[in-house]
Amino acid sequence: MAYIEIRNLVKRYKKVTAVNRIQLDVEKGELLTLLGPSGCGKTTTLRCIAGLEKPEEGDIIIDGKPMISEGFVQPSKRGIGMMFQNYAVWPHMKVYSNIVYGLKLQNLSRQSIKEKAKNVLELVGLQGLEERYPGQLSGGQQQRVALARALIRNPKVLLLDEPLSNLDAKLREKMRFEIKSLVKRMGITSVYVTHDQAEAMVISDRIVVMEKGNIVQIGSPPEIYERPASRFVADFIGAMNFIPGEVVGVHSGTNEVYVRTEFSEKLLCKSTGGDVTTPGQKVYASIRPEDVEVFAEPPQSGENIFKGIIANKAYLGNFLFLFININDTAIRVQAPHQLPQEEGHELYLSLNPQKCIVLPE
Amino acid sequence: MSRGNHFLSSLLWLVIALLVIYPLSILIIESFKVSGTDGSGIQNYLEFFQDTYYLKTFWNTIVLSTMVLLVSTLFGIPLAYILARYRQRGKTIFTALILLPIVLPAYAGVFAFIIFFGKFGTMNLLLMNAGLIEKPLNFIYGFHGLVFIEALHMLPFIVLSLVSGLTSIDPSFEEAAEVEGASGFRRFITVTLPLCTPSYLAGAVMVFLWPFTDWLTPLILGQVDFLPSVAYINIAYHFTDVHRKHMGIVAVVVSSIVCITLFLFARWWVEKKKYTGLSKGTTAEGRVIEPGPFLKISSYLYTFFIAALVLLIPIVLGLSAFSRRWVFEPFPTYWTLDNFRVILMESPGLIYNSFLFSGIALIFGVIFGLPAAYIIVRTRVPGKDALDFMITLMLAFPGIAIGVSYLLAFWEGIPLATYWIIMPLALFSRRLPYFLRIAHASYLQLDISLEEASEVSGVGKFMTFINISLPLLMKGVLVGVVMFFIMAFQEISTAIFLYRGGWETLPIGIYLNWHRGMEFGISAAMAFLMIVITFILLLIIAKIGGGILKAAWGGAGEKK
Repeated sequence: MAYIEIRNLVKRYKKVTAVNRIQLDVEKGELLTLLGPSGCGKTTTLRCIAGLEKPEEGDIIIDGKPMISEGFVQPSKRGIGMMFQNYAVWPHMKVYSNIVYGLKLQNLSRQSIKEKAKNVLELVGLQGLEERYPGQLSGGQQQRVALARALIRNPKVLLLDEPLSNLDAKLREKMRFEIKSLVKRMGITSVYVTHDQAEAMVISDRIVVMEKGNIVQIGSPPEIYERPASRFVADFIGAMNFIPGEVVGVHSGTNEVYVRTEFSEKLLCKSTGGDVTTPGQKVYASIRPEDVEVFAEPPQSGENIFKGIIANKAYLGNFLFLFININDTAIRVQAPHQLPQEEGHELYLSLNPQKCIVLPE
Repeated sequence: MSRGNHFLSSLLWLVIALLVIYPLSILIIESFKVSGTDGSGIQNYLEFFQDTYYLKTFWNTIVLSTMVLLVSTLFGIPLAYILARYRQRGKTIFTALILLPIVLPAYAGVFAFIIFFGKFGTMNLLLMNAGLIEKPLNFIYGFHGLVFIEALHMLPFIVLSLVSGLTSIDPSFEEAAEVEGASGFRRFITVTLPLCTPSYLAGAVMVFLWPFTDWLTPLILGQVDFLPSVAYINIAYHFTDVHRKHMGIVAVVVSSIVCITLFLFARWWVEKKKYTGLSKGTTAEGRVIEPGPFLKISSYLYTFFIAALVLLIPIVLGLSAFSRRWVFEPFPTYWTLDNFRVILMESPGLIYNSFLFSGIALIFGVIFGLPAAYIIVRTRVPGKDALDFMITLMLAFPGIAIGVSYLLAFWEGIPLATYWIIMPLALFSRRLPYFLRIAHASYLQLDISLEEASEVSGVGKFMTFINISLPLLMKGVLVGVVMFFIMAFQEISTAIFLYRGGWETLPIGIYLNWHRGMEFGISAAMAFLMIVITFILLLIIAKIGGGILKAAWGGAGEKK
């Protein structure tokens, strides 16, 4: 039994279906990320788990207890901790009062409240700031207050709604690791919502990619990156060259697929398994820029070698993006600096068949 | 910094000096004059604070203010919560109805409630006819009636400020409390209400100041022991007794000082406590809740009750306006247009004067207000904050202070008070902040880059204002103009000191008719006429845009 089970969840706003009958299990102690563009239903799903939205259909079971089907359980009774996108740190209360707000509702002695507050303040690194008002704190500190408040009651489930989106880039990267290690150390089952794929990659045990109210793929970060289930997922996560073509041959034993493209009669690709490809099907032969090998001279051997002309370049410091035209198809590659970079220069590309996957159109 | 801006700013200051600073200094100087001598000193003030009667009026006024604030808050909190949070049918209508008192003259309400709740008013007669009571109950004559009427009159200020507080709270603040385990009432007390306090206070201070300003309501209800009423009586009726006149002026100054102090204190506090900057990205309407059936019905009943009380005003005045000899009957039986005939045949000048004076005041207002808004929002002319401050301060000044100071200042030194132009001038300076605030607000919303784009294209500042700013500000300006007109149209406390024979306006006519004969018919008909005119003007605002609610809020500030 999974710790959180989401069954047939449907949430509509007037005529828009924000969440369309999704199924999802979150294991105990897992850090699961809901990833997708804005409007994909990720935040709505999270708010349904919190009880802040009442779904039209379906059920959410937390630790074996149904939250909806046996009477709607109010958010205040679900025993969850939540971090909001805008922190939602109450501006009229001092840091300390903010953090112990929920604890005070439980019948605890002053002493134990104080102790817990001390522990959690240490945990998030806010010692000495108890008497400050949120208005006197930086964004990052308010963030920590929100985290401390969410953690202090030792919640069964921690929900995080884009908690880092209001921080600047440097701090965001630092907080990713902090949140992850903290949550893992405490072993709290967590659901994390973000639209930032890099954040999802760093932080998650598993990623759930959502699109238009549906789950399109669930998997570990490497699975999602290396074997995206659709063009949408591949495009949303990382960069990808999509070469339109048509399947001309399938080798079911080795998962090898031949694709006819604008520049090649038989481009050798790999099927990701899920969809059985049949000849005649329109597909995208897809390869990530970093998987394209680039040579100044034609390599002696290898599959999928093509000649191209540099059309454009973009310098990014640690590497170079080149846009190379093979006939009329532009391929983006990540090239080492020592190669010629001038526009109009000829280069040779190797589209590694092991990395060149076939995605349905 | 262009020279034009400095010139403009100096002109505006000149107007402020003539119409605000000069008369108010005369008022203060006059309050120090010792009667019977040529000298001056603090004798008047010493007497004021040693005399048991004046001290009593002072204390009474504070108690009244407190009670009015308390009652309107108690009734206002649930109302604001319902309007801001519950999904309810007919919300717009209810909101408009409940806010109606803001644009109705206070005296209209007083007359209506006297007719309905008076000793032998409709309510008592109905109860007696039904055999429920033997003798008439005293619903309104007395302190409790005063509190009731003033609280109802000021209720919109409380409701509007709370609604604006409730809708501007980031929903996640309350959601966070919910997730943390605080449900219902506790969440409301610990999170929602504290977050509303800054905006509540902005409205509350206006409510608290109202009894320091309103001299007419106590007077009509036969209660005179309140500061503004005493001041009015001392100054208007005892002009031969110079000493009493001076004591009246002292009362006016004391009221003004209380008003200004509290107003500034509230502003300072609100500024200090502003929470809004802290949260990022709120939804447009804030949290909206679907109430359960029991709550839904109770909230309907409650809004209905308040709306009915408010609606009593136009209904009762209407009944009274179209009837004669409505005495000792729960409802009128003799219907006639006689009241209107009397108004139109015998004193059409009242209506004409009202439109003329308010209209001229309005033109002054626009001519002054637009450049003032420009200077305050768009330039860095030194002293612009002081200008803003002076104009905003006028919100807090009791109308009686302006009336009295104009009477004193423009009688001998600058003898403007002998010409009718004093009337629109007084209305102008009294209602100026209303227009300015709306113009100011719409100016703030106007993206400066739109103007900069025009200037970069080679068009000068003035033509940019004419071509770009003015058309874009038009909507806000028009709403401000109508609001200004409504407020000027019903002004009485300033005008009552300044009018001479032939300069009477409708509100003055209402007062005089009541005062002369205790005959409500004609007063009621005049009040009804004013309500109709106000209502038409409100419809115009609603048509222009922004809706009645927004228009009323834009103009919310102090009244009379």
